[in-house]
Amino acid sequence: MVGSGDDGGEGDGDHFEVLKGMDPEADERAELLKDRFRLSVISIATSEAKKVNMEVAEPVVACIADLAFKYTEQLARDVELFAHHASRKSVKMEDVILSAHRNEHLANLLRTYSQELKGKQLQTESKKKRSSKKDDKEIRD
Amino acid sequence: METSFDPDLIHAIFKLVCSSSAERDEETEAVDVEVGAGASKKSRPTTAHHSALSVSCELLRLFVAEAIERTAIIAEAEGANKIEPTHLERILPQLLLDF
Repeated sequence: MVGSGDDGGEGDGDHFEVLKGMDPEADERAELLKDRFRLSVISIATSEAKKVNMEVAEPVVACIADLAFKYTEQLARDVELFAHHASRKSVKMEDVILSAHRNEHLANLLRTYSQELKGKQLQTESKKKRSSKKDDKEIRD
Repeated sequence: METSFDPDLIHAIFKLVCSSSAERDEETEAVDVEVGAGASKKSRPTTAHHSALSVSCELLRLFVAEAIERTAIIAEAEGANKIEPTHLERILPQLLLDF
């Protein structure tokens, strides 16, 4: 499995062709992002494993991190295509939800999450409006 | 609080992927037969709404969480208390099909 650094770089070279080989600067940035990404995956994976009272072996986490990174690259390409297809210049929530269309459960989970987000956003917006209206009143009084 | 990905990190990865694919398209533009396609490809969207990044973070968190949960089930069934690569191997095909 994914263990030594040397073999890992050559082994998955064909999959990383999108990011590698463009220019050394982009390669460096990609490596940096990959490392930061791996750290996040490690923290999520260890907390998930704790929930079921299990430990995770390091090669497992490294493998999941690499897979998740490739998935993120694919997601970025898909989401950009969807936004472009909808004649939009920026990627919106619906593009991300659409990328999960092959799995209905997943799409529904994301939809409820996005609705919760929207609800929270509206709440904070209305709170701001209410508090600013209160301030106006006090000033007038 | 549940740990999740940093939206800024995801945003950075998105930008990196977009810029790489934009460079590739510039190289192959000479081979493009349709002029229309080449022109539209130049205005590539590289911006993303904050909410879109949050949902992306959630999607990736679900990916990692699902991978761990499925592997843990296999490991528990075998009576081990540590998740090993052999457990991960068994769930990978279905996981990759599901996402």
